[in-house]
Order: sequence, then C-alpha cells, then structure tokens
Amino acid sequence: MKSYFVAAVIPILLSSCLKQSIPDAMLASKNSGGQGSPTATLSYKVNGNAVNISVANAESQDTNYYTLGCTKSTGGYSLDGLSSSGEIAFTFYTDSLAIGNYIYTANYGDMYFVSYNAQAEYVHGPTDSMSFNITSYKNGLISGNFSGQLTPLVTASTINNIFGVSGSTLITNGSFQNVPVFY
Amino acid sequence: MGKRPLAVFILFSIVMQANAQLGVMKWVGPNSNKYDLGFGGFIKSGFPVSDGSDVTLELGANIFFMNDGYGTADGTIMCPLKAGYRYTLDGTGTGFYVEPQVGFNLVGVTSLHDANGNQINLNYHGVVFAAGTGFLFTAWNAPFDLNLRYETVIDHGGSNNFISLGISRYISFGKRNTGY
Repeated sequence: MKSYFVAAVIPILLSSCLKQSIPDAMLASKNSGGQGSPTATLSYKVNGNAVNISVANAESQDTNYYTLGCTKSTGGYSLDGLSSSGEIAFTFYTDSLAIGNYIYTANYGDMYFVSYNAQAEYVHGPTDSMSFNITSYKNGLISGNFSGQLTPLVTASTINNIFGVSGSTLITNGSFQNVPVFY
Repeated sequence: MGKRPLAVFILFSIVMQANAQLGVMKWVGPNSNKYDLGFGGFIKSGFPVSDGSDVTLELGANIFFMNDGYGTADGTIMCPLKAGYRYTLDGTGTGFYVEPQVGFNLVGVTSLHDANGNQINLNYHGVVFAAGTGFLFTAWNAPFDLNLRYETVIDHGGSNNFISLGISRYISFGKRNTGY
C-alpha cells in the first residue's frame, strides 16, 4: 500500500517543480529566440532596387494571412512575401517539397511573380524565367536563393494583356531564410 | 482551432461506441485562471493480475476552452494514453482503490491568439503522470468506475495539470471471482 501511495505522489511533486504550463513554456522559448522561433527573411532587388522582408516569430503567423511563408496548395507549395513596395509569389510545383532548384520558364505560359510599386512583373518573354533554389529544409523552414528575368505588365485585359519590354525586369540577389512552411 | 473538430469527433466517438464516459476537469497550477472547466472522454480497460489488482490501459481525449475572449477558438486538446496499476484497498477488486498511471500524450494542441490577434497553434506531446483514487461498483450488471484523479502532462519544460472527476463503464479483459 505504501508503494502505491508513493507512486501516486510522485507526479504531483514532479509537476509542482514546473512553474509554467506547456503553452507558456513554448511561447517563452519562442519569444526569447530559442528553438523554433526563427525570424524569417526574404530579400531581393528589382532592377537594383532593394526589397527586404523580415518577420519575427514567423511560425506564429496566421496561416491564412501571413507576411512571409509558404503554404501547401493544390499541385504545389506557394511561397508568398509581402513588403511595403509590393509582393513576390512563387509556386514550387511538387507534391513533396524538397531541397532543389525549381524553375518556371516562359514555356509554361505567362505567370505573375512580382509586384513592385504597383507594377506587376510576369514571366512572359521567350527568355524570361524565375528560379528558386531551396538549399535547406529543416524543421519546417526553408532557406535558399532565387533570381529571375521578368516582363512588366503594362495593361491588364481580359482578352490580351499588353506587356512592356520583354525581359526588362531583373530580379537579383534573391535570398530567403527560415521561411515557414504551413500545412 | 484547426484540430478541434477532429478531437471533438474522436471524443464523442469514444463515448458513444465504447461505453466510455465523460469526465469534468479543472485546470490547476500554471495558467489555471485562463481556462474554463474542461471535458473529456476515455476508454478504460482492466487486466486482472490478482484478486485485488488490475493493470489498466486508458485512452482519453480532454478539451479545455480558454476564457480569453475568443470563444471556442482558443483552448487545449490532449489525448493521453496511459497504463496504470489499480489496487483495491480491501483486496477484492471492488470498492475503493488507488491507481498511479504513467503514459504518453499522443496529441497535444493549444490554440491561442497573441497580442496582435494572430492565432497560434502549439503542438506538443509529453510524458503523462497521474494519481487517482476511485470506487468500483456494479450497476445493472455492468462494472462502473467513479474516479477522481490528478494528472500532469510534462513537455517543453512546462506542465499542464488538471484534476478530473469522472465515471466510466470500463472494459475488463479477464475474470476474477468477484466478477470484476
């Protein structure tokens, strides 16, 4: 009987040593920059003009309305980043996201990728492309680099879009770190 | 909370299909003021090892809603799987008993909103310890277990602690002379 009483008291003693609930402990770890609380960053240049996105505690973002993240969607994974100057979007067409190079070329058809100061940029011209290279995928976070050659959309139309000079927009120095992948 | 409908479904499936019972729970210790009363369902089975003792196996689903102003969107779900040793005080397999339990939290999800109104889902598991006492009795030729227990889930350097009062119609895989 004594041993049963001792066994029953042990969990009470164990838990009394812990001063935080599990959620509080996890949040404290995130807020202190501990494991699982990275700052996600994405930066690039549009014809030499820098764009920088940084989100602290990126994994805590609302998965429906986030500033920087990657979401599994039908047919692939969609990476999206919002900045004061616009946005960038890229879809990794794969069932299982992995380290590697993902390229979208004009052969696949016109596709929107970047908006900079309200100017939409597309893969459109014959030499246009957008390339994302995932160099790290750990703990639900992806990192890597990217670049592209795009064409500005001058006038959007339901019949025929009117584009500017083909391949006139260069995306350079693209880099992303610790971007969370939401499922 | 994204996984809440699934957990609720699991909970009620357990209750309806396995003759298991609901328990009412009170979060205690850290964060206890953030939670309303919780509810849980569980399947519990016993394997008699002597006239007065059983090795027990219990699978539960516990839900706690937070009182932070976001209604049922915020709360905690835990699904512990526990093994225990139930010892009846008079050695007959009926009446009052004590039961230490140990196990693993198969699913732990806490959903809450941060200061900016963003929803956060925290996923964890953790080791489970419980200390319980109760009363075994027969009603309508079915074995019932009225119990009170203290349970703690430990993970990430924190613990979720609660007290549960419940009654279950448990399943016994074996026979002893008393019928339990």
